[in-house]
Amino acid sequence: MVGTISTDLIRGNTDTIVLNVLRQGDSYGYEIYKKVIELSNNQYELKEATLYTAFRRLEQEGYILSYWGDETQGGRRKYYRITKKGQERYEQNKKDWNFAKEVLTRLIEGGFCDVKK
Amino acid sequence: MLKNKKTIDDKVKNHIEHLFDGVGASQQLFDLKEELATNLKEKIADYRSKGMEDEQALQEAVISMGDLSGLVDDMRKLGRDKAKQAVYSTKTARISLAGIIAGVLLTLFGSFTVAMLYFINLSAEEAFGPGIFIVAGGALFTYSILTMETGKKYAMNKIRAASYALAVGSLLFGIFVAAVTGLTSDEIYVSIASSMLFVMAGVGLFLFLCLTGTDRLKTK
Repeated sequence: MVGTISTDLIRGNTDTIVLNVLRQGDSYGYEIYKKVIELSNNQYELKEATLYTAFRRLEQEGYILSYWGDETQGGRRKYYRITKKGQERYEQNKKDWNFAKEVLTRLIEGGFCDVKK
Repeated sequence: MLKNKKTIDDKVKNHIEHLFDGVGASQQLFDLKEELATNLKEKIADYRSKGMEDEQALQEAVISMGDLSGLVDDMRKLGRDKAKQAVYSTKTARISLAGIIAGVLLTLFGSFTVAMLYFINLSAEEAFGPGIFIVAGGALFTYSILTMETGKKYAMNKIRAASYALAVGSLLFGIFVAAVTGLTSDEIYVSIASSMLFVMAGVGLFLFLCLTGTDRLKTK
């Protein structure tokens, strides 16, 4: 991994990341974990501990729901599915993120000369 | 190889039990433990397929999970808060209770009707027709009692409970078919032949479920 993302920066976006994986299909804990790594091009790993906490929070708020899958060799898998409310939340979060991203880039990289032009 | 897998599975179980040591029991904790164990086992299997030794795979997988203390705290709060637990389980408990009562009543209804028709001296075929209610009642009863959370046991998952219900239903249906055909055709071999399939399917499914089950006992 080339750089790091501070936990502070990622914390506010964990829910959106999970929603982004789930809006593309139902999935279970370990698979979501692998998909996040894949999405980041192996640049970032979201710890399972963080994921399970996010699942609980998202489910309580009605953004996702869970159901048990069939037995596999290792036991039953708990699957998660995004709800309609979760889809809407995702769209809103994406908008918020794009807005924040633009402003932050200006705040962090911008010079006063640029503004005058 | 199979023995190896067994010890790894036990170690995963021990690790997770240890993680939640002293946390008050709740249905959510029971579910979370199973979810964590399934995912952890899959991760270990992935590590092993990349050539890691069993022990190392377990260690690495556990470390890479990260700090689960937040989750443990969540569960501890839930275990302490008995009122919340009650809310969580009452709705499903009520449904199970209704199912048990309906199952028993259906079985009784079937039995009484069969007895009644039999003593009216109807032909055996007609008399045993309502026996089908006993089959339905037995299956419903099985499903409901398994999905109910009790003081000693957690609820079984729905798919598994439904499979048990199917096994019992199939077994009862086999007996039902045997009774009806045996009494109507006078040829015992016909009734044996016709019930064999259902009884065997029922027993087979039942044994499979019994031998693959997880422990639902509440320890604390």
